[in-house]
This record gives sequence, C-alpha cells and structure tokens, in this order.
Amino acid sequence: MARRRGSAWVAAVRTPVGACSAVLLAVVVLLAVLAPLVWGDGAAAIDTDAIGQGPSGAHPFGTDSLGRDLLLRTLVATRLSIGLAVLATAIGVGTGVVLGTLPSVLPRWAGRLVIAAVDIAVAFPGLLLALFFAVIFGVGTQGAVLAIAFAMAPAFARLVQTLSASVSGRDFVAAARVSGVGRSRLLARHVLPNIGEPLVVNATIGAGSALLAFAGLSFLGIGVQAPDFDWGRLLREGLDGIYVNPVAALAPCGAVVLAGLAFNLVGETVAGVVGVRTRASRRAAGPLPAPRPAAAGEVPDDAVLVVENLQVAFPGPAGWTVPVRGVSFSVRAGEAVGVVGESGSGKSLTALAVSRLIEAPGVVTADRLEFDGKPVDKASDRELGTSLAMVFQDPMTSFNPARRVGRQLAEVSEQHHGLSRRAAFARAIDRLAAVRVPAAARRGRQYPHEFSGGMRQRAMIGMGLMGQPKLVIADEPTTALDVTVQRQVLRLLARTREAEGAAILLISHDIAVVSQTCERMLVMYAGRVVEDLPTGSPPQHPYTRALLATTVDLDTDRGAPLEVIPGRPPEPDQVPAGCAFAARCPLATDRCRDEDPVPAPAAGTHRVACWHPQVSVLSGQSREEGAA
Amino acid sequence: MSALEFDAVSVRYGKLTAVDGVSLTVPSGQVVGLVGESGSGKSTLARAAVGLAPVSGGRVRLGGVDVRKLPRRRPLQMVFQDPYSSLDPRMAIGESITEAMPRDTSRGARRDEVARLLDLVQLDPERATMLPGQLSGGQRQRVALARALAGRPQVLIADEITSALDVSVQGAVLNLVRDVQRRLALSMLFISHNLAVVRYVSDVVAVMYLGRIVEAGPAEQVLTDPRHPYTRDLLAAAPSAHRGLLDDVGGDPLADTEPADPHHPPPGCRYHPRCPIGPLVHTDRTLCVSADPADDAAHRPHHAACHFAA
Repeated sequence: MARRRGSAWVAAVRTPVGACSAVLLAVVVLLAVLAPLVWGDGAAAIDTDAIGQGPSGAHPFGTDSLGRDLLLRTLVATRLSIGLAVLATAIGVGTGVVLGTLPSVLPRWAGRLVIAAVDIAVAFPGLLLALFFAVIFGVGTQGAVLAIAFAMAPAFARLVQTLSASVSGRDFVAAARVSGVGRSRLLARHVLPNIGEPLVVNATIGAGSALLAFAGLSFLGIGVQAPDFDWGRLLREGLDGIYVNPVAALAPCGAVVLAGLAFNLVGETVAGVVGVRTRASRRAAGPLPAPRPAAAGEVPDDAVLVVENLQVAFPGPAGWTVPVRGVSFSVRAGEAVGVVGESGSGKSLTALAVSRLIEAPGVVTADRLEFDGKPVDKASDRELGTSLAMVFQDPMTSFNPARRVGRQLAEVSEQHHGLSRRAAFARAIDRLAAVRVPAAARRGRQYPHEFSGGMRQRAMIGMGLMGQPKLVIADEPTTALDVTVQRQVLRLLARTREAEGAAILLISHDIAVVSQTCERMLVMYAGRVVEDLPTGSPPQHPYTRALLATTVDLDTDRGAPLEVIPGRPPEPDQVPAGCAFAARCPLATDRCRDEDPVPAPAAGTHRVACWHPQVSVLSGQSREEGAA
Repeated sequence: MSALEFDAVSVRYGKLTAVDGVSLTVPSGQVVGLVGESGSGKSTLARAAVGLAPVSGGRVRLGGVDVRKLPRRRPLQMVFQDPYSSLDPRMAIGESITEAMPRDTSRGARRDEVARLLDLVQLDPERATMLPGQLSGGQRQRVALARALAGRPQVLIADEITSALDVSVQGAVLNLVRDVQRRLALSMLFISHNLAVVRYVSDVVAVMYLGRIVEAGPAEQVLTDPRHPYTRDLLAAAPSAHRGLLDDVGGDPLADTEPADPHHPPPGCRYHPRCPIGPLVHTDRTLCVSADPADDAAHRPHHAACHFAA
C-alpha cells in the first residue's frame, strides 16, 4: 500500500501541474532557508551613494531610499513572508481542529454552544475579522499573525466538524464505542486520522491565502514593522516610487504571486494524490490486450441479443485490467436468461457494456455485439431508449429525487415518441398501473422518496415499459429488497415478459432466484462465462456445483457444517494462465493450471468451459475419460 | 447468568417508533434468531442493547443487571453488517482487536491474545499488522468477530453479518460463528432478513414486523408450524427447491400490497393491510382493525400476535 502511494506521488510529480508545483515549492523553500544566510548582510547594507536608483547592472531591481539592493531584499524577505504565513496557518488550523473536535468530546450542551459560536464566526468576512483582531492584538508582527490565524480558524473548525460528523457516522466508530473505547481516544485514534487528508490539502491552500493576507496587512502598515521587512512591506515602500522605479513595487508583487502559486499548486497536487478530487489517469496503459480468439458460435435466428467475445478493459497504473474477458452468449426473443456469479465476476459490467453504459476510460471490444439485429454501437439513442430497458439494483439512485415519478416516466415518451406533455403523462400513469403500482394516478404525482423500495423498482420497470422493450436487463433488481417484496418484483418481471413478449436478462448473485425464474442460466467466474445451462439440467462445471452446494435454504441440514468454496476468486489483474477456477477446484489437474478451457457443448444448448465436467452426481467421469 | 433480556423495550426517534415495547429473552448459551424485513426495527433493537440507540422505554438486562449500569467495557459485543465500514481503514487489524481488550491486559499478553483470537477465527496471526484494505470481505468479517471476542463477551450480537458477503464466503463465516458460539458457550442474538440462514444458526426464532415481535418460539417449531400469517408469508417467499417463486401469479388480491409505513403504523393489528387471513379477505374480521392482538399474545402458541392464529 505504501509503495502504491509512493508511486502515485511520483506519477503526480510527472504531470505538468505536479512538476510546476514541485519546482516552485523547492525554490521557495530553498530561498526561505538560504537567502538570509547568503545575502542577509547585503540586503541590510546601506549605500548612501545609490539612493533610490532605478535598475542597473549593479542593482538589477534598483535600490530603496537608503540605497539597499532591492533584489537582495526581495530574496531575503522570503523567509519572513513564508515563515509568518506558515505560522499563521499552523495556529489557525490548530485552533480550528480544537474547536471542531470539542463538540464531540464535551457534554452535549457545551458542544452545541461551541458549534453555534463557530457558525457565527464563519459568517464574518475573513479580512474584516483579521483587521479587527489586528486592532485588538496591536499593530505588529505578532498581532498580524494572530489576526490571520484566528480569521482562518472558524472555517477550519467548520470543516473539521463536518468531516468528523461524517466519519463518526461510520460503523467502525460505532464498533469502537461498543467495545468500550472512550471519547477522547475515539477522536484521536479513529476520527482524526480519517479526516487528515482533506485537512492537509485545505491547510496547504489556506497557507497561500494566509500569505496573501499577510502581504495585505503589511502593505496597509499593520503587519511587519521596520526594520523587519516582508514582501508586503517592500511593496508599500516600492509603491512610493512607482513612477521612478516600477520594478521596486513589481518585484515583491511577483514574489507574492509565485509563492502563492506554489502553495496552491502543491495543494492541488496533494489533493490529486490523496484522492480528494478524482482525476482520471491520462497515462496510456499501453496497447489493449488482445482478446482470446473465439470461434463464432451458433446464433439462433430469433436472437434479440448477440454477444460474441465481449471484452471490457480499464486502464490502470500497471497496465490494463480486464474484468470481462471474452464473454459470448445470445438471448432469444422472449427468453428469460439469468446471469449468476460472485461479486467481481464481471456480470454487471457485461450488462453495462450491452446497454452501452461503460464510460471512458473503460474500453469495450467485441467480435459481435448486436441488439435486435443491429450493432449496439451504431444503434441510435432512440432505438436503445425505447426497446432496451434497464433496471438497476438501487432504484433510489436511478430516479432523480427532485422530480415527480410520473414526469420522469413521461420524459421517455416525450423524448423518443414525440408525445405531448399531457399524452406522455397519461401514458406514464397507464404504465404505472400496468406494473401494479396502487393508485397510479396519485402516485405518479409523488416524488421518488415517497415510494417504498419495491414500489420504486416497479416504477423503474414501468419506465422501461414506456417504449416496447424487446429486452429488459435487470441488474440485481431485488438485492436491496425483502423476500416478500422480492417475490412481487420477480413476478412482475415474469408478467412483463408474458405481456410484452420481452426477453429478460436477470443478473443476480443468488443462484436460487435465477434457477426459479429463468429458463437458462449463465454462470460467470473471473470475467468468463464458465457454464451456460438450461436451469432444469444438472450443472457440470465444478464451480456451478460448488455454488449450488453452498447455498443455504430451508432444507439445509442444521447438524452439519455448511459447504464452503475454499480460497477466493483471482483479482482481475492477476488471472492465472490456465483455468481461473483451478486454484479452488477439487478436481484440478496440471492441464487445468496450464491450459485455459474453452466453452464446449455438453448436451443440446448446454455449454461448459471445463476440462473435467461432472456429468452426474455419482460418477466423477471427465471429458477425456469419456472419450477414451 | 448471562441471559440477555429485553423487557418492553421501546426506541423512539422523534415521532417514529422504531421499536415498540419488545420483550425478548436470549437464554444463556443459546442462539436467538431475529428475522424481519428492513424497517422492522430488528437492527435498532440490537443497537439499543449495546447503547448505540436511545432506549426510551423499558429495560435491557444482562444477567439481571440493567445494561446502562454496566461499566463502559460491557460483556456484550456486536458484529456489524458491513465489514468494509466496520473496521477503521487506517488501523492495523491487530490494533483494532487490541483496542477492544480489557484495560488491565499487559503488553505481552495483548500480543498473545491477538494471535490466539486470529487463530480462533482461522486467520494467520502473521496478518495482525495488515490494514483492512488488504483483506477480502470474508476475512474482514472474521477480524470483526475477533474484535468482538476480544472484549470477552458473554453475549454476542450478530447484525446481518453475512448479507454483505458472497454466497461462497457466507458459509465459511456462518460455520465459524456457530463453532465459536458453541465453544465459548456464548449467548447470541443473530439478526438476519434471510430465513434460511436464521434457521441454520438459531435455537429460537423471533419474527419482527413494524417494531413488534409477532411470533417467537423454538426454531424448528416456528418454521415448520408457523402460527402468524406474516411468518407463513416470509416462508412462502423464501426461495426454495420445492416451490416455484412464480407460482400462482395473479389472482391474489394481496400480491401487490405495499409494506406499511413505520411512520404511520396501521391501527389494530399492524399486519392487517397485508394479511391473507385478515379483513381484506374475510370481511367479517373487523376485530383485526380495532383491537391490537399484541395485548394477549402471551396466551397463544409461539406468542403469536394474531387474533386468528391457527
């Protein structure tokens, strides 16, 4: 993990922004450390022969009213300017963290008081607060540092409060509380480390603002006082002679801009690495891996969906990851096909690829990917929108929470069928009634949050029925629902199929659900279809058999331990050369570990990708033995 | 001595009564399975026992003592549903386990104890220094179990511990939980929406609906001879090799009824708007709408909260 993080930093520094920020930061830090040591004396040297001169060979930026070299003074001022900004930020962030975390340690009433105080302070403009504090703490460096620090603190306190509230709601904090961990330790060990990253990023950006604010205060004469000097003070002095020597004012300006830029860009880079802002990796991961060549299978004449050698790949830092590796199947008109597999087997990605929902940087390739006789990538949005319906696992996130359900359904017909607003809404109500939403006319005017989970899923199916769907793809449509509601939704899908003649592709992790509702079942493992069988016939692939054996049902023997599949599926970027299931398979031989099995017909439409398919329960006869 | 008793426990959040006067006992050394749909209040009941939800009425007692009077480190531990969020992503798993141990454990003893617990949940003790991100879901749930056991609990609450896991991993975790429960003679409250899983693990089964227990009794009896119509519906809806899920499509007037809204529980029997033997089917059964069957549930078999419990 640490190494991965390290390489992410290296990658970040290689981006243009990262490189800029690294160079700028290095220059600023080096100057802050070295400039006063090297040029400190030179910057303080008064030369009465060269008072108020313009740029010259000896003094590139000219001299001030005491004849001191302005280039050296600008360079030497780096330490004080940066140092004070960092100091102010540190005090500000520190105070903010304390104020932000107090509410979770103090008794409830005291915590509320702190929150209210912070809320009021946040409402004050920062610079006004700084001026106010500067007056209270007195004019001078110390006053300015405290002023800027305390002006920053409320915003950070608010940030910490919000972040820690979201972390405190997570289960691991609840778990620690249950195991008797006290409040302070909870805060120190569980909450603060988990909000550290966004805090660091914001503090870095905050330091840039502090630098600017400090320069502002010094410029106004309530910051750094002579004989000390920072960039703000140099700017103030240089401004007097701006018509004589503009460089005297512009040099400190440039320094402030560069240093501010350094802080902000560093913040940006840090944010990119620690993942506060996600940025798609633009690095090319090399050429796409070639899919395994596959013989074109037989395709039934009435196929509504044909998928041949489908591959879905995502670029990663270490090359392509291929979670779907050559999937082939077809769905006939009106057929119900189930796809089962564990999480990570590629079943959902297959469904998304079919409905053209894989977004860049993901890459979909296939020898053939046809819906209703046409290549999917050439189909118009309207064709897909009206004849392909998609039902997702979580219907709460697939509806727009701010619009009425009926209107969202009606939109489909307005967009794709050119119906008027009124006619489209009438059709929406009709469709809601068709999916047996009680009191459809009233419920069509409600918002998604007023629907229960099962009702929302019905409405989602109803949305698919606004057109004439030839295929309904349902991706774990009942996983978030209870058994009684699950049965309702599954029955509704079956009715839809009957009434509309639509084919159904039901994706589920639950082999029992699929075998009860579908005619055919595709079993996926590590990005491949390992078995394609009619639901009635006995499975032959050891993985399918193991999946069936591990399913707990109401007839499971309570006296015996449950069946388990040892090991775990391979990571998508570490799929072995041979059969992906070999490492967990009790029947694996050397051949399985070396050679990748191809799907072979077993009986009728039954296909199985295994070197040792199990023909029946008792005899462990393999394909080779059968042939011999 | 280590029985967990809920005595008329209620939990209210504003106007919502999530748990409404639930009485349930987890006898010492036994497993009580609690089933019900989401929103029925089963997780809230569990959270009330460990102090994560406010008990607004009634009492939770552990071995006869009110849990609120127990010290902060209680002999009552819980395993959460989602192993991806129940472990601190920045804390090595050994440290997470150590944190839950009694304070008086010495440094050396802690290390030995972590190794022993990891071994108990069938994980390599070498993994103690790993972060949760390096483990699979099933392995994380084992760590969560080890952490719960580190508190030397007499009572363990398992809240939907396998619902975030794949079927192939679920079996291993259930086997482990059952094994550990028997070896340590723990009392356990096992919560799940999956009837088959509850049946496999539990000695006693309680069925919850809209904040109330509607039926409870020995597991085998409740599941083979259910008395409350809701229990029967749950059993009928569970996928099973013997019955098709899609049988008797249509015709049933209750097939598309909606679960009741916990914010506005129906009067009388809370199940009557969905009940196949209630007023929607038998129009003469007005009793279901007017009288709460929970009042005299104690006299019926399985304490079934139904006026017409068969």
